[in-house]
Parts: sequence; C-alpha cells; structure tokens
Amino acid sequence: MRGLEVETRKGRPVLLVVLVVIAIILVSIYFREGEDGVLHRSRAVALAASEPVAIAGEWVSTPFRRVGGLASGLAVSRTEYEELRVQNEEFRARLAELEEAGLEAERLRGLVGFVEEQDFEYVGVRVIGRPTTSWEGALIIDRGENDGIRTGMPVIAAQGLVGQVVEVSPGSSKVRLITDQRSGVAALVQASRAEGIVAGTLEGPMILDFVDAEEAPVAGDVVLTSGMGGIYPKGLVVGDVVDVYDERHRLYPTIEVESRVPITEIEEVLVITAPGTAGDEAGQ
Amino acid sequence: MKQAIPSILALLGAAVLQVGVAPRLAIGGVVPNFILLVVVTLAMVEGPTAGCALGFAGGLVLDLLGSGPIGVWALVLCVVGYLTGMLQERLFAEGWLLPVTVVFAASLVAAFGYWMVSSIVGEGGAFGATVLRIILPSAVYNTVLAVLVYPWLARLLRREPAVETVRQFR
Repeated sequence: MRGLEVETRKGRPVLLVVLVVIAIILVSIYFREGEDGVLHRSRAVALAASEPVAIAGEWVSTPFRRVGGLASGLAVSRTEYEELRVQNEEFRARLAELEEAGLEAERLRGLVGFVEEQDFEYVGVRVIGRPTTSWEGALIIDRGENDGIRTGMPVIAAQGLVGQVVEVSPGSSKVRLITDQRSGVAALVQASRAEGIVAGTLEGPMILDFVDAEEAPVAGDVVLTSGMGGIYPKGLVVGDVVDVYDERHRLYPTIEVESRVPITEIEEVLVITAPGTAGDEAGQ
Repeated sequence: MKQAIPSILALLGAAVLQVGVAPRLAIGGVVPNFILLVVVTLAMVEGPTAGCALGFAGGLVLDLLGSGPIGVWALVLCVVGYLTGMLQERLFAEGWLLPVTVVFAASLVAAFGYWMVSSIVGEGGAFGATVLRIILPSAVYNTVLAVLVYPWLARLLRREPAVETVRQFR
C-alpha cells in the first residue's frame, strides 16, 4: 500500500495558553501602573531605540516627496520646461531645493506668526515618524527630554491643534493626535459657546460629545479648545463641524468634527512648553 | 537557538520596516503590517509552536512601537500565529494562492481580534465603520504585500526544502 503521510510539527497548546495569560497580565499591568511604571517606561526605551530608524525613513522618503512635488509643478508649464532642457539637470536639482526651502519657510512663518499672536513659549520640531499601524494616531518628533519636552505638553500646527506629547525619550517624543480614539479635548463651539468634549475615533471624523440638542452647532461651525482641564490652552482651533445628526441610542446629538491639520503631510509642528499671557491680559 | 536566528532576524527586519517604511506606504490611514507578514509566514513554514512564540514576540514589538495598551498585539498575534501553524499541519499545497489566502484570513482575524480586545478595554470603535475603514482595507493591503514578499520570506525562513514535508511510505 502506498500513500502519503504529512510530516507535521505538533502545536503545543500549553505554550499558547501560557503566552495568552502573560499577554493578559501585561494588559492588566499597563492599565494599573502609573506613567512611571515599568511598561510605560519600556515604551520610552523603544521610542529611543526606534528613533534612528524613523529618521532614516524620513531621510529616505524626503527626496521622493520632493521629486513628486517638482514633477507636479513642472507639469503645469511644460513649454517652459522644454525651452530650458539644456540646463535641466542642474536647474531641477536647484529648483527642488529652493522650492522645498521656500515651502518650509512659508510653513514656519505661518506657525511662528500664529504662536506669537498667542504669546506661547514653544519649541519648533520636525516630524520624523508617523503611525506604525492602522489603529493609532501618533507622530514621532525629533525633540525630547533634553530639549525641555515633557509629557502632557500640547502640540500645534498653523492650522490648529495637533495633539499632546505622551512619551518622551532623551532625543525624541511621541505625540498622540487629537484624532486618535484615546484622545479627548475639552472644546467649545465658537458661535454658540456650547461646551463639550471632542473625542477621536477609529473610523474617521472626531465626535463632539455632551452638547445639548438645543445648542447643537451646524455644519461649518468652528470648534475651539475651551481651556477646561488645563491641558490645552483656550482658543486653539480643533476643527470644523462637518455633520450633526441624532441617533436613537444617544442622549446627545452626534456632532462630527474634522481636523484642519493635514496629518499625513505635516512636517513641522510646535510644542507649547508654557502657556502664553495674551489670553489673560485680554480678560483683564 | 541557532535555528531560531533567521526568524529573529526576520522579525527585527520587519520591525525596522514597520517603523521606517510602513508609515510612508500608508494609504488613507491604512498601514501595512510587516510584522504580521513575518509571523504568518513563519507559522506556515514552521508550524504552530514557532508561529505562536514569534507572534507573541512580534506583537510585543508592535505594542512597544505603538501608543495603545501593551500586550494587546502580543495576545492577538500569538493566537494568529498558532492558528496559522495549525493550518500548516493540515494543508500542504504548494504555490502562491494558499499562502496569500492564509495571509488575507490571518489579517482579518488579527484585525478583528485587535478590535475585539481594544473594545473590551474600552478603546474600540464602532464595528461596522471599523470593518470598512480599517479591518478590510488592511487585510487587502497585507495580502497584496504578501504576493510580493511571501516567496522570498518563506525561502529565508524555511529550514528544509518544502518537498521534504511530504514523505512516501509503504
């Protein structure tokens, strides 16, 4: 009799059970321990270890982004491009550098102008890492503890609020975005002054919660930080209301808010190291 | 220990790609999962025990790199690695279609598992929207990557020629 026998490598259910139990214990410890706990601190170590890789990734991807930007810019004036073909190689490289520098200067002018208006103390930082899985909204920035960055500090861009520093290593930090499902921002609607909490979601737009139906905003209304809770300074743009609707199972109307910050493109942000006095002076 | 070196190297390589490359390959917020690909590939060539152990290690790396609770990815990927390895025990078809199908199924199970555990600890999103925005797109994205990566990865991780896993007897 002839046949086939499959040589198998038997599984060990005991190993699976042990590892599952260890994982559950880890999750449990994570929630029970404080910010100074072993697991939280190990994440700061992982952040420091991954910093060179994140910087290398950003360094490698930047020329591709620049070339992409250059190609789209040249497509607009192809005739001109043909006339300058002789000087093309040198010119293209130079143009890319200048365009990049110009865009960067423009972005930084916007950022600094916005922050100076608010009279914040801040540190300008570059984004060196973006979310590593589809399930989280976090950025890695190139400044850390050695530059005065601490957990809890708000992070902003010219378009508005970006998030909050949640992990700090000596040379880099992790910023949890306001769009992350673990984020919550005390906010108010600019037009009606109705207060609520803007929470990030996994599935897309943020939700402004705890606003009574009578005070519900309309699409297009601007949502700002309310300053309640003391984490984010008052008056930062959180986003714009894009939809308002009632759901039977919810006590409050569902208010969808879209952030103005282009998270996938953002390259520089500011970390607010100390709140300004402009708001206080205005109130006196 | 010596036999585990290629697996450990593959996992380290996947971690580097996950930090340095995956975020730049994101499409509409959907990021490919290189660590899952390595775990699934190893489970398919080495079986449930190796899949489970590497799944736990890979999951822990993902947990440390991310900002969610530590342990969730470790829990999900050790189960996914084990289940994928169990499939390897029962299937011995060669070619690209089976592994690609397994990667798709494993990605779905991993993403669904992550959503489920996250929901239990109070961090999950609405099921329908999460399926449409994250679970299905990630599974498709990982599957497309698997088509490109699996043959090379399997060759690297396989300790013996595949044909030796099928033996004739009288």
